Amino acid sequence: MIRRLFRDSKAVLGALIVAIVLTLAAAAPVLAPQDYTETDLGGVWAPPSGEHWLGGDKLGRDILSRLIVGARVSVIAAGSVLAVTFAIGVTVGMLAGYLGGPIDTVLMRVTDVVLAYPELIFAILVTAVLGAGLGSVILSLSLAWWPGIARLTRSLVLALRHEAFLDAAVACGTPTGKILLRHVLPNIVPALIVRAAIGVGFIVMAEATLSFLGIGVQEPTPSWGGMIRDGLEGLRTDPYLALFSSVALGVTILGFNLLGDGLRDALDPSVMDR
Amino acid sequence: MLTYAARRLAVMVPTLAIVVLLVFFATRAMPGDPIGVMLSDHSADLVLASRLRAEYGLDRPLGEQLGHYFLGLLTGDLGLSFRYLHVSVAAVLASGIRVSLTLATLALALAVPLGVAGGVLAAVRRNRWQDNTIMATMIGMISVPNFALATFLVYLFSIRLHVLPVAGWGTVAQAVLPTLVLALPAAAYIGRLARSFMLEVLRQDYIRAARAKGLSPTAIVLGHALRNTMVPLSTSIGVVFGGLLSATFVVETLFNIPGLGRLAIDSIFGRDYPVISAIVLLFTVFYALINLGVDLLYAAIDPRIRLA
Repeated sequence: MIRRLFRDSKAVLGALIVAIVLTLAAAAPVLAPQDYTETDLGGVWAPPSGEHWLGGDKLGRDILSRLIVGARVSVIAAGSVLAVTFAIGVTVGMLAGYLGGPIDTVLMRVTDVVLAYPELIFAILVTAVLGAGLGSVILSLSLAWWPGIARLTRSLVLALRHEAFLDAAVACGTPTGKILLRHVLPNIVPALIVRAAIGVGFIVMAEATLSFLGIGVQEPTPSWGGMIRDGLEGLRTDPYLALFSSVALGVTILGFNLLGDGLRDALDPSVMDR
Repeated sequence: MLTYAARRLAVMVPTLAIVVLLVFFATRAMPGDPIGVMLSDHSADLVLASRLRAEYGLDRPLGEQLGHYFLGLLTGDLGLSFRYLHVSVAAVLASGIRVSLTLATLALALAVPLGVAGGVLAAVRRNRWQDNTIMATMIGMISVPNFALATFLVYLFSIRLHVLPVAGWGTVAQAVLPTLVLALPAAAYIGRLARSFMLEVLRQDYIRAARAKGLSPTAIVLGHALRNTMVPLSTSIGVVFGGLLSATFVVETLFNIPGLGRLAIDSIFGRDYPVISAIVLLFTVFYALINLGVDLLYAAIDPRIRLA
């Protein structure tokens, strides 16, 4: 599978981009050449120079440093949302799919209510209630996304429900919790990994969108979405902030999407053409 | 099929009632006081504040407010806007609905043919340079967020080349960039699906039969394969439309277009609860109806599908 992934040049490019973004995020405090909150009057809307490699923003803060720290914010947000959505979604989906009956009905009606909203609009509504900030962005995106994961998990479990090895486990008197963790979960993990890989790009985009709209991550914490919003103010004369942050955001999401597509093709050769 | 449609509508009612309930409490739970926002400079005037509070029913218990809201919805009354004094929510929304619908329709009208043409061409020229170029463009379009795409297009066409206006609404030139920004990601999404459905169809026996009887490749693709590609593709319209609805929030804010999306964001910052609720409800109902319509359409054009 790994070998198949490495033969796919697009997936390799995606993996490379993702690796760079993760490295920047992990080592942001070391790599950022300047303090991302430090204002510098001489650097206000400065073009790229020896002092500010990618220029300065409206307060003269170093754009490169803010982009690097922004990568960290983006990765933290996306990682947390993934962890929460999968923890809730997989648990709910497995219980609903395996146990069936009234538990299934109730859990699925709950997902219906969330899925009735277009995802981003639901997230905007929740963020508006919780107030802006990284924490509420993570919470609102998690609330918007877990029902999709629960539905996917449920359908995967239903497909396994009548496999002989599950009947055998039940016949041996294995407790339900152990069946779910040891027999069901390992069989649905590949499909879940693919779903996660494809979802990361969308989560990064959603976080940036909320921040762009002004209801996401707040100043002075840099978020690529917020930086693009700031950059639009100076677009006419000093486009560096807007353009560099747009490139950083676009390339990062592209990297995640290329890797996600590659993983899907590698894990499931039957959908090679899709 | 009629009974199926009726049952789907009936199931929608309790879900929408919960949606209304959630939206009502969500807006009430938002931080900030709408009366304070309304008064702005006169915030020290307590008499005026309590009079406004009474006029908008905000002095009554929450349960009563909720009951009043539900009853109003049943009679089509969405209440009064907080931000525009004495103006009904319906009046505030009226012009925005027209603007957003125009924008979404333009975007869809561009995205569907563009996406289908791109996807079909890629499938027919599979693994050749046309396919690779189209697929690379499409994954790029899906990956770049709409506001980043808009930033590039505005910088290029409005600021550097001076051929299109930066923002605004009302002229044809002003509609070009927002329509493109909405349509390109949608077209890319449709195109990727169209390609995979087309490849699936091209493997079928009846295509081989058509080729065996000597039909030209163009006639096979346009006459036989395309129709059968459109069937599964039509189900994706619901997802595309949901995406467009969400994207209007960003695109209308960015291009300063007086539609529902910008109105919703402005209303969140202006604590205009009734307007936020109305827009979220409107989008949710719209989204539900589109999805229902798609399911019915799917059954109508593919006789193999039985709705139960």
